[in-house]
Amino acid sequence: MAEAAAPRRVTRRTFLAWWMAALLTATVVTGLAPILVYFWPAPPKGQKKGLITISMEKSIDQLEEGTAAPILAPTTPNSAFIMADGGGDNAPGDLAFGAFVIKNQGKVEVFAQNCSHLGCSVAFNKDAKTLDCPCHGSRFNLDGSVHHGPASVPLSHLTWKQGDKPNEIQVDGIILGF
Amino acid sequence: MAIPHPRDIQVAVVDWLDERYPFTKAVDEALYQRVPNYANAFYYCFGGMVFILIVFQLLTGVLLSFYYVPDASSPSGGGAAPAYNSVNFIQNTVYLGWLIRGVHFWSANLLIIMVLIHMARVYWTGSYRAPRELNWMVGVLMLLIILVLSLTGYLLPWDTKAYFATEVTIKIAGSAPPQQLGMFIKEVLQGGPVVGPATLQRFFTLHVFVLPALIVLLMYVHFRFIRAHGISEPL
Repeated sequence: MAEAAAPRRVTRRTFLAWWMAALLTATVVTGLAPILVYFWPAPPKGQKKGLITISMEKSIDQLEEGTAAPILAPTTPNSAFIMADGGGDNAPGDLAFGAFVIKNQGKVEVFAQNCSHLGCSVAFNKDAKTLDCPCHGSRFNLDGSVHHGPASVPLSHLTWKQGDKPNEIQVDGIILGF
Repeated sequence: MAIPHPRDIQVAVVDWLDERYPFTKAVDEALYQRVPNYANAFYYCFGGMVFILIVFQLLTGVLLSFYYVPDASSPSGGGAAPAYNSVNFIQNTVYLGWLIRGVHFWSANLLIIMVLIHMARVYWTGSYRAPRELNWMVGVLMLLIILVLSLTGYLLPWDTKAYFATEVTIKIAGSAPPQQLGMFIKEVLQGGPVVGPATLQRFFTLHVFVLPALIVLLMYVHFRFIRAHGISEPL
């Protein structure tokens, strides 16, 4: 007696059913895809990355040792600084609307004002020579490192260079376009 | 392991849902109705086409509202109003914004044509007669709402054409006798002495909230009447 044929793992009917299911899925995806694309935020016209020129009260040379000079991103046109690095609540590429130009041990650095804990704006504490966060009490040394928690990672650097005039610096940023 | 048939998966999902609510029964009651042979003609599909176009309008309208700004005030620094800029943004910058706005615009135009064709069919086949007079009235009311939707939607881009077309329309509405009534209609529509930001705000609210809610409600009533009376027999 001949052995019974083993049941086929995929019958023609099952294959056709899956084929129709795939076609239906493709149809639904084709309908939904344009809607998803539509939701993807388009960059506003006029949005442009580049160096933002900031005029300071004093030139970089005149900055006193152990001080932090606050700078703000221009509002005409509406601009923001771009973080070069970061951790915690900050990340490279995140935007900051204010920063501190700090002279510490002869070295000038620019830090975003955003606290690495939850993003509040830090303020310069002249007496303690630290940058203090008003929200949860984090404190940062003038080199950006953590002096006191709850923040656990340093402040974010901004990329900058000397501007054309002595009191100007150029900071890596973006014109928002709105 | 044998590959399951898609039907098995479908049955499992439907069974799971049915154990929690009788979906199958509700869907069966709503959909499984016999269609009389005389209704198997293309001209009985016009109403369904109107329904599909209204769904298109609602869907694309919701999508447009994600970017549209109903603000006609002049910016302090000069330039175009945010309403105009937002439509410009949708049309030229948003990914596939031109497509969504195009579908909304052309569906609106096609909708009016299809409604008129549908009504012509209803008239031609005598489907407005007893006991369906009330449904005919509901349909006429929906036509008026669609026309008002078109009128209110026309102003939203806030460009020159929209502005002056609406001004003329309001002027016509405001010429209704007696003079006091005309003035009242004009002031109410404009929301002030001239066509301005208040007018856009009113037209936007009507176009996006009030009229769509009304038309959805009337569509439900329309369909309930059709289900109650059945598809009308030809003359």
